[in-house]
Amino acid sequence: MQLADFIRFTYGSLRSHRLRTFLTALGIAVGIAAVILLTSIGEGLHRFVIAEFTQFGTNIISVAPGRIQTHGASLGGVNTVRPLSIEDALALKRAPYVQVSDPVVQGNADVKYFGKSRRVTLYGVGPDFAEALKMRVAVGEFLPQEDPRSARALAVLGSKVAREFFGGDNPLGSRIRIGGERYRVVGVMQSKGQVLGFDLDDTVFIPVARALEMFNRESLMEIHVTYDPTAPLVEVEQGIKRILIARHGAEDFTVTPQQKMLEVFGTVLDAITFAVAAIGGISLIVGGVGILTILIIAVAERTSEIGLLRAVGATQRSILMLFLGEAALLAAIGGTAGLLLGWAIALLLQLALPALPVHTPWSYAVLAELVAVAVGLAAGVLPARRAARLDPLEALRSE
Amino acid sequence: MRLTDLLDFAWQVVRGYRGRTFLILLAMGIGVAAVVMVTALGEGARLYVLNQFGSLGTNLLIVLPGRSETAGAMPGVLVGKTPRDLTLEDALALKRSHAIRRFAPLIIGAGDVHAGTRVRETPVLGSTAELMAIRGMEVALGRFLPEGDPRQSQPVCVVGAKVASELFGARPALGEWLRIGDRRFRVIGIMAKQGESLGFNTDEIVIVPLAAAQALFNTEALFRVLVEAKSREQIYYAKQDVEEIIRLRHEGERDVTVITQDAVLATFDRILRALTLAVGGIAAISLAVAGILIMNVMLIAVTQRRREIGLLKALGATGRQIRLAFFTEAMLLAIGGAAVGLVVGELGRNLATQLYPAIPFQAPWWALVAAPATAVITAVLFTVVPARRAARLDPVQALSRR
Repeated sequence: MQLADFIRFTYGSLRSHRLRTFLTALGIAVGIAAVILLTSIGEGLHRFVIAEFTQFGTNIISVAPGRIQTHGASLGGVNTVRPLSIEDALALKRAPYVQVSDPVVQGNADVKYFGKSRRVTLYGVGPDFAEALKMRVAVGEFLPQEDPRSARALAVLGSKVAREFFGGDNPLGSRIRIGGERYRVVGVMQSKGQVLGFDLDDTVFIPVARALEMFNRESLMEIHVTYDPTAPLVEVEQGIKRILIARHGAEDFTVTPQQKMLEVFGTVLDAITFAVAAIGGISLIVGGVGILTILIIAVAERTSEIGLLRAVGATQRSILMLFLGEAALLAAIGGTAGLLLGWAIALLLQLALPALPVHTPWSYAVLAELVAVAVGLAAGVLPARRAARLDPLEALRSE
Repeated sequence: MRLTDLLDFAWQVVRGYRGRTFLILLAMGIGVAAVVMVTALGEGARLYVLNQFGSLGTNLLIVLPGRSETAGAMPGVLVGKTPRDLTLEDALALKRSHAIRRFAPLIIGAGDVHAGTRVRETPVLGSTAELMAIRGMEVALGRFLPEGDPRQSQPVCVVGAKVASELFGARPALGEWLRIGDRRFRVIGIMAKQGESLGFNTDEIVIVPLAAAQALFNTEALFRVLVEAKSREQIYYAKQDVEEIIRLRHEGERDVTVITQDAVLATFDRILRALTLAVGGIAAISLAVAGILIMNVMLIAVTQRRREIGLLKALGATGRQIRLAFFTEAMLLAIGGAAVGLVVGELGRNLATQLYPAIPFQAPWWALVAAPATAVITAVLFTVVPARRAARLDPVQALSRR
């Protein structure tokens, strides 16, 4: 049988039962649409989370005291017998490839200004904090470069704190009280919004040494280290470990590169996306059962036709190919329709709920189409073999 | 036509096309089984989390230092220090409240525990004797921290089962000395195996008296205070009392957060229920696909059985009866498929329970009702078009044409 005949024949049989074709393809289309939609949401979420993290830059390494991790955070950040000091942070500046090393301690404090009071997240940081986390100053400047061990009482406000306290006035130079001590405002940060539940605008930044004093504590919570993005990560990590081990005598700290965290998040989100897509894919299997059922009925209906074809010289192989082709074509049509359907719903979702991140990568679309065809072929095997094995004489006589 | 006749008629059809019936049952069964299994997974996860929270203790309130002005942030992530610490004296002042049965101040930190030449870094928990009752902990060997003034400390400690085996091997750990930081402690008890509890493994901790932990970490600040209310009804008053007592002690400043176990539980419960519902719904899409298949097959059946339908009509069957016959057939198929699905789902649930005995997999009752109901409803809905088509057949034409 020629290819052109083959296509014409398949097309003809699909056309002659339009409603049947439509419904069978619809089954596959619903399945594919579900899978595409769910993976789109999953992928959108993935990108959203990655973007949330990478807005602070990708070449950050976090060094925290203690080596036990619970709930994704180092327990040493709370209390530890092996503290990380400001001197440790200064020493890390000498590690190979390191650009910036910035000590951080975080807490919760009351800020007062002219009778107004507000509890904010307080960050004790070094002068390089803004640079390390790629945060921008809107007004004024960040904490000045000076010895972090004996820093002046200067503060930088998050945008929300500045708005709540000063409204439209210029906060620069004003004196505010933080935890009972007086600080002079030297800058206001640009708005960052909420990042994974933390409001980064409801914050105040003060020099780290003063924060340690205020909280009466000796250990930093973490040290942010940024490195040359072209440098090999392993060497950077080793350099940091070497310096700190030399200072502490043992590895009593945890080094977590941002990239590792991103990878962990990536794997978790991918796993969830895959699981949800698999649940959606169950309908694809049911759609496959649909193709199987319809083709078995078709083989029964067209027994005499198959007999005739065999009688005029069609081989078993070409009958097999004919039905397999029909199954694959049905699935492909359904797959394409499902693709368009899922894509359209994803677009609508994006318009209706801009907050919900949706993204459909091309690779998924191609993959979904391939899966649809594969399902169709798998469902077609049984009926096609049944058709091919029909005895031409018996088949003709069934008329 | 009587009901028995209807059923008999449908049964004949269902039996007559065995292959077809089998495939439709398969499609419906896959859908129902998927819904049942997926919701069983979700429900299992929910019950597991609730149990975990329940095992933290009953009527529990957690007091933590610091307060956030912005709503939305999970109170649990509120880590970090405050200028005015939550101190032991604050905790002791809570005794004044009538709604509070007992409380346990908590200091937590990372410590390196030495025993002989072995070293191990573990979480170190500083607390009082009350902790055992509040958290429902059990001691396997020896005893828990001694009662007495929490301001004084004896050099004793209670270790988790895993810490004991890692540090002392097969040797009995009871009565041995170990060193944390620069202080020495005698092991007076070993905790019973409790395993992981919300990411915090009680097998891998060392519990020391509160005052010792204060010295060890060189801090006055408590990490949390666990408070147990006298009864469920008293939780609200206990929360108010805690806030008021600490506000008075902190010069009128509200700088602590009190979260109740119930609030946390309710949040988790809501989230996990919603998730279960969502995945159940996604799985239910396959039921719609199965419905489409039923419609397709019914349409073919109408064409194939023209003569039969024509004959029925010629014998006086009304359009309504023909429709009913088709609906009965669809419902038989759907119920059969649902039954198959429920059985397969139950088998899958059993398998999952065998694999992960810790998690109570159990399909929620609403899923057990909703899955078969959805199957039947979709089947009936998708049969409307074929049934109407069959009912409208003209008997003369249907019989005359071959």
